[in-house]
Amino acid sequence: MSFTPTPIVGGDAFEQACAIGLEADRELALSADPAATLRKYWDEIVAQGWLEAEGELADLAALAGGAGRGGLPLPVALSCGVIPFLLGRRRDLLEHRIALILPEAAVDDPADALRLEGGRLTGAVVGIETPPDPTHVLVVLDDALLFAPVDGVTRYQRIDAKPAADFRFNGTPVEVLESGITARAEQARDLGALLTCIEAVSAAGAVIEQTIAYLLNRVQFGVPLATHQALRHRVAEMYVEYENLRGLAAQALRHGSEEWRDIAFAKLRLGEAGRFIAQAAIQCHGGMGMTEDVAAIRLARRIMMAEFEYGDRSFQMRRLLDAHRAAA
Amino acid sequence: MAAPVDYEAFRAEVRDFAMSRCPPEIRAVVATYRKLSRKIWYPWQKILFEHGWGAPGWPKQYGGTGWDLKQRHIFDEVMAECDCPPQYHHGLRHLGPVIIEFGSEEQKQRFLPGILNGTDWWCQGYSEPGAGSDLASLRTTARREGDEYVVEGQKTWTSHAQESDWMYTLVRTSKEAKKQQGISLLLIPLNSPGITIRPIRTIDGWHHVNEVFLDQVRVPVANRVGEEGQGWTYGKFLLERERLGGANVAPAMKNLERTRALIERELASPAQAPKRASLEERLLLAEAELRGAQALGQEAVAATMEGRPLGLLPSVLKLGTSVTAQHVSEIALDAVGERLAPRFRPTSANAEAPGIEWVQNYLYGRVRTIYGGSSEVQKNVIAKQLFGS
Repeated sequence: MSFTPTPIVGGDAFEQACAIGLEADRELALSADPAATLRKYWDEIVAQGWLEAEGELADLAALAGGAGRGGLPLPVALSCGVIPFLLGRRRDLLEHRIALILPEAAVDDPADALRLEGGRLTGAVVGIETPPDPTHVLVVLDDALLFAPVDGVTRYQRIDAKPAADFRFNGTPVEVLESGITARAEQARDLGALLTCIEAVSAAGAVIEQTIAYLLNRVQFGVPLATHQALRHRVAEMYVEYENLRGLAAQALRHGSEEWRDIAFAKLRLGEAGRFIAQAAIQCHGGMGMTEDVAAIRLARRIMMAEFEYGDRSFQMRRLLDAHRAAA
Repeated sequence: MAAPVDYEAFRAEVRDFAMSRCPPEIRAVVATYRKLSRKIWYPWQKILFEHGWGAPGWPKQYGGTGWDLKQRHIFDEVMAECDCPPQYHHGLRHLGPVIIEFGSEEQKQRFLPGILNGTDWWCQGYSEPGAGSDLASLRTTARREGDEYVVEGQKTWTSHAQESDWMYTLVRTSKEAKKQQGISLLLIPLNSPGITIRPIRTIDGWHHVNEVFLDQVRVPVANRVGEEGQGWTYGKFLLERERLGGANVAPAMKNLERTRALIERELASPAQAPKRASLEERLLLAEAELRGAQALGQEAVAATMEGRPLGLLPSVLKLGTSVTAQHVSEIALDAVGERLAPRFRPTSANAEAPGIEWVQNYLYGRVRTIYGGSSEVQKNVIAKQLFGS
């Protein structure tokens, strides 16, 4: 028996998220209208009640893990975890399809960064993960949580198939949902980072499983690739990195989203270990590793993207070093 | 039924003991990476023994503590955190449990007390020039003559032989059977006629290991542990008990903290700020890896206590932490190397250059991915299970 990963949090929610992910992944490969396909699966997860996990971390982890293994290209961490957490009592707003713009959001032109002037929002941000066809944005700006309708938007599908958008606001009126939001916004970002780690760990387990299957079946020079020690050792190294990352993510989950250091270390490791696993999977697949046809490679690409969500490794490194220096 | 253990109270008790009873001069040896030898270990073992903590892993009836696995893990962690020497392992962790499990009553009475109170010092005679990772290929022979065996052969990489009283030794008593089956375990006094111990000079300039030559050495049959030809089973039993060794990440974490302090001290000037920032970043990446290993170590302890299989965790921990520990020692070397590496000499004169121990530590640290199952062997073990064959 070859390797089958054990989920950090398993159960029905995990299995369901994984099944939907696999189905969506299959359908997207054949779809003439990927945006409509993503929307269909979004509507399905809303109907299944995923947005109402009520902040139960274990349930969220099961969904994120299942989505990771199945390669579900929808913003599970964002829409099921981070946004409900930020909205608090204003869950009525979840009837909209909401994107989130955190203070760290990327900008092309720093002079045109988001700013609030007389209760109106102006400026632009780019590369924002969204639900399909976002209708509204939640913005953390100037220590306040703002809610606004989408104004100027360029929607697209990222290379890992997830929906995303660039937003432009031209004096858009906003509703101030809450002031003094900075600390909670940081917690929300860490929740997103934690769920992203769990999603990526799960994807990494599947990548290793599928890479092993490929090496066992692919025959060259009359023998399966799995007979070559160089490749077997590469997979062993992938597994060691995977286990290390899994240990950190599972511990961060046990300690909860308030233990920001655990999450920061896990996210830092995701940058290192995740990329190592993804690159090794590509290498082990040879030329096929450069194609979109291989499920393991699509997952590997997703893991690489995950690093940049909710604080990349430089961001996590800086805050951890700052904390060390402050304590010294 | 036993009352549930208050692990945090236990941790506090061990810490209090370590800080108040381990002599500062002994802790200073550990903290500054000076050579741990019998003259450092023995007084500490004596203190532990007199407190009833001489053998945390042994059953109570043989002088052990009766602690559960988690308590033993906490004990090891706290010892490292407090700069106490890790207990000398050859007697307490290797041979002792084998004697308890397979030894005769006479052997238990003869050998266990000396291990427990630290008066008898043991080394391990396993590896040979032709039997490293492939230990079952060992060729040192023991020929039976009446009530004695006559041992002929050579052992190598024998740590601490230069300061030991005894060597527990795997020898070949039969050449006819499968190579794992003709092996026996003998307890050999190192003052026996026919034994020559020769130091091996390792790359760090210190004397850790030796060659031990056995020339017609006569050993009483009463010094054989268990059955003749079953030595491989006992050796495997010993290794199985050591599988959780990698779960204790505390020494590596302590080393990381010391390295962080070293960087702050060594690279304090503004001119060194870029180098300092670079090393701090590398150290943080290593810390993340060690924290991952620490989490896995806790999982391994919990799994063992609940009777769940450990699977590949021991190999993952050994492989991962040995590499990370080497990274940490490389970072420390980079902090001091420019100043100290050119002054490192294979003599005790090194002690006069403050910080020189970091260079020695780096060189010595290369062994971590070799001993106890090399990284390549661990990868073979992991791959075999992952691929199903």
